[in-house]
Amino acid sequence: MNQAIRDKAKELLASGAVSCVIGYDVGSDGINARPFFAYTEEEADGLAFDQTCTHNLVKYLIDRAGKATAIVVKPCDARALTVLINEKQVKREEVFIIGAVCHGIIESTWGQKGSDLQGRCQTCTQHTPLVYDLLVGEPMAEPTPKAPLDHRAATLANMSVAERAAFWAEQFQRCLRCNACRQVCPGCYCAECFVDQLDPEWVGIRIDLPEKWLWNTIRAFHLAGRCVGCDECQRVCPVNIPLGLLNHKLEEEVATLFDFRPGVKADVPAPLETFKKDEKLGIGE
Amino acid sequence: MARIGVFVCHCGSNIAGTVNIAQVMAAAQTMPLVTFVADNKYSCSEIGQTAIREAILKQKLERVVIAACSPQMHEATFRKTVAQAGLNPYLLEIANIREHCSWVHSNDKAAATKKAIELVKMAVAKVARHEALFTKEIGLTKKALVIGGGISGIQAALDMANAGYPVILVEREPTIGGRMAQLDKTFPTLDCSSCILTPKMVEVAQHPNITLLTYAEVKSVRGFVGNFEVEILQRARKVDASKCTSCGICWQKCPEKIPAEFNLGLGPRAAIYTPFPQAVPNIPSIDLAHCRYIKYQEFVARGEEGKKPPQCRICERLCPPQAIDWEQSDQVLVEKVGAIVVATGYQTFDHTRYGEFGAGRYPDVITGIQLERLLSASGPTEGEVVRPSDGTHPKTVVFVSCVGSRDERMGRAYCSNVCCMYMAKQAILLKEHDPEVQSYIFYIDIRAGGKGYEEFIRRAQEEARAIYLRGRISHIYQDGKKLIVRGEDSLLGRPVEIAADLVVLATGIEPSAGAKELAQSLNISYDAHGFMVEAHPKLRPVESRTEGIFLAGTAIAPNDIPGCVAQGSAAAVKALAVLSRPSLVSDPMVAIVDPLRCTGCFACQRACAFNAIDSQVTRDGKTIAVVNESLCKGCGLCVSACRGVAMNLKGFSQQQLLAEVNALWR
Repeated sequence: MNQAIRDKAKELLASGAVSCVIGYDVGSDGINARPFFAYTEEEADGLAFDQTCTHNLVKYLIDRAGKATAIVVKPCDARALTVLINEKQVKREEVFIIGAVCHGIIESTWGQKGSDLQGRCQTCTQHTPLVYDLLVGEPMAEPTPKAPLDHRAATLANMSVAERAAFWAEQFQRCLRCNACRQVCPGCYCAECFVDQLDPEWVGIRIDLPEKWLWNTIRAFHLAGRCVGCDECQRVCPVNIPLGLLNHKLEEEVATLFDFRPGVKADVPAPLETFKKDEKLGIGE
Repeated sequence: MARIGVFVCHCGSNIAGTVNIAQVMAAAQTMPLVTFVADNKYSCSEIGQTAIREAILKQKLERVVIAACSPQMHEATFRKTVAQAGLNPYLLEIANIREHCSWVHSNDKAAATKKAIELVKMAVAKVARHEALFTKEIGLTKKALVIGGGISGIQAALDMANAGYPVILVEREPTIGGRMAQLDKTFPTLDCSSCILTPKMVEVAQHPNITLLTYAEVKSVRGFVGNFEVEILQRARKVDASKCTSCGICWQKCPEKIPAEFNLGLGPRAAIYTPFPQAVPNIPSIDLAHCRYIKYQEFVARGEEGKKPPQCRICERLCPPQAIDWEQSDQVLVEKVGAIVVATGYQTFDHTRYGEFGAGRYPDVITGIQLERLLSASGPTEGEVVRPSDGTHPKTVVFVSCVGSRDERMGRAYCSNVCCMYMAKQAILLKEHDPEVQSYIFYIDIRAGGKGYEEFIRRAQEEARAIYLRGRISHIYQDGKKLIVRGEDSLLGRPVEIAADLVVLATGIEPSAGAKELAQSLNISYDAHGFMVEAHPKLRPVESRTEGIFLAGTAIAPNDIPGCVAQGSAAAVKALAVLSRPSLVSDPMVAIVDPLRCTGCFACQRACAFNAIDSQVTRDGKTIAVVNESLCKGCGLCVSACRGVAMNLKGFSQQQLLAEVNALWR
């Protein structure tokens, strides 16, 4: 698998088809993967793919607009890439997609390799990316859908509105407003995020619960119908806010209301930015 | 800092009767930037407007809040008022303390006053952030489109054409004339429908300013007032209109006979046909669904085994000028127009939904419009009223009113307006045709509000000896040659049973098939039944809520011929008021893109219902969105679709709206 990625990367770089290959190499702890940019054939020898390749790399493509680039994607990353292509942030013809067959990413910490699959991977229904120019790894049968692993999802659904509000108040109270969730999210590419805007000032600069609450809920709504559930926001959150719970809930709502999963098909716009006559959802009729 | 003036309107007692004006004024005095507060008995009156103008000048006001009725009512009025005092007309905000406040909270004066104060507070916060906006002049196409060639559309087209403007009249059927062409005589004067309609049809055909497109349909409409772009599908007649002399050999010799739609199935027509002898244009069309040669071609194209159907082509062989053109195909025409009159008319209610009346099962249970065809000298029986079942002359005729009208069971709460009158007319005509005829008319109420209408009902009762029975019919069944009609005379409280030779169902009016879809493509609203909605039911009865699109005839609501003709003329005048302007003024309250915030995701473009978002490439090579101001309607969909807040709406900017919300919490 590593060799297939390296060979293709070298071939693309040598022919000038791309000027950079974005993938993974082994981090300085010798265990965990980290994002890696190969600009030369020699550098391409460092490329690797294993079960520690947790990062979603597609956001790097936005800054490489206009320059042909190859990228290594997992199935979830591929969906995020389709979202970016649909939203005209990445041009499909400028990207060579190396799709990696993914057996799931394992939970691991610095210097220590874990053994359990990450939560998102335990319920994932895809081993093979939906879109790729070259597939690396042995294709395998797709897993059957499983109920969400996080038991809090079911608990939340059964709570009263007040109980749910109390739950989220407790979670959001920890928020530092460090914006790591935004920085890592492939769906967050606004030139000036609403939370940074001063005219109008949508969210005050105070670091207190109302502002934290507003920030997290508005961001979740901006991702409704766009979030592919890669859970990178949750992974990078330094205070462990279960943002995935929020995003997955909205993903399910959108799927139920509009029969839509983001990033599955090219050229199908997100439901919250389109209007169809038959989509009445029982409102007003 | 802006100096803001607040004017609180009493609207007589409309507002002052519920809202405490003095309290609202006192509260307004304390609002930020407010330097002047006054009240007016009627702000919209000449005295009220003068007071506002004088206050602006004397108090050096820079922004104005008028707390009065809905902006739909008088925003335009007050914009002119402030402009006359030298202010930019967009430095005005209306606080709606009538419709949104006094009218809906008339039972709680204290709460209404509190709400009025809050509405004023929001308006003050918003107007402080208003910017001067400027209109632009845009050109227009001085040409009108009329959709529908019934009497309403004909009248509108003729009036506009006579005023000197070119008109395109589009009719879905092969001829103009509409429903009126099917009628025998018209109430309450009993003049012959054709005799008054046909000359108008001919005038349309010969008018140098009218382009008549029959057998054609409007497929799509884009653009805006003054600058609509319309796609019209011209269906192929398979007859070359430039060669055809309307000699009639083709439809006489065509061997295929089918029930004629124009006669509601009471007589046959050929596969090549004109709907009726006075059709305009009098060019036949080939009905593709029934023509033998077309069927033959389809059979061959399918490549099926078996015996080939006959090739026929008799019309082609016999046509003296060789006008049959099998190669003719449907065409899409694109036209630019400045104003549109929608006159799509009606169809009658499907009476077979009333199973208890036996319609569709008993041939002698017919509809009012079928009786019109039987009465008409140009009808299938040349004016001889006979029973469809056996051709005998009916002597006892029962009319059933409100079939598909005033019946909640059928989802039709409304009155179809014309049925009472046409039943009376038909009873009179039946008596004229055959003095032995006895008519019975079952009615709920007799609606005869028009000029000379009540007298006409008396005529039916006294001269034609029609017997009016108040009550509904419960059941109709066949007994030998007779139809037994059972019902109740609700005045006597007694059941009635009449052995009738013919039963006439006064079927109600509903909008034409496809009217809803057309309304959708025109972006005009329609009600639950599919009737088009007027901009104001009393004051703007022939305007739609979309500027430049006007309405006439039964597309709006059931109406009789005088009403439809009046609406046709009224719509024409409204359209002419657009066409005769040298140029139009654009609304400056449109969306605007902040190029620094736009990431070019084009969510706005996907959200826009008016195709008003284009793309442009910036100097640094970024592709971003740009608003086509002449197409933008200022609806704000793009603003809500834009996550990065790169879109804003002039006159309703995010800053202004957020200021309103924030004002509520201060």
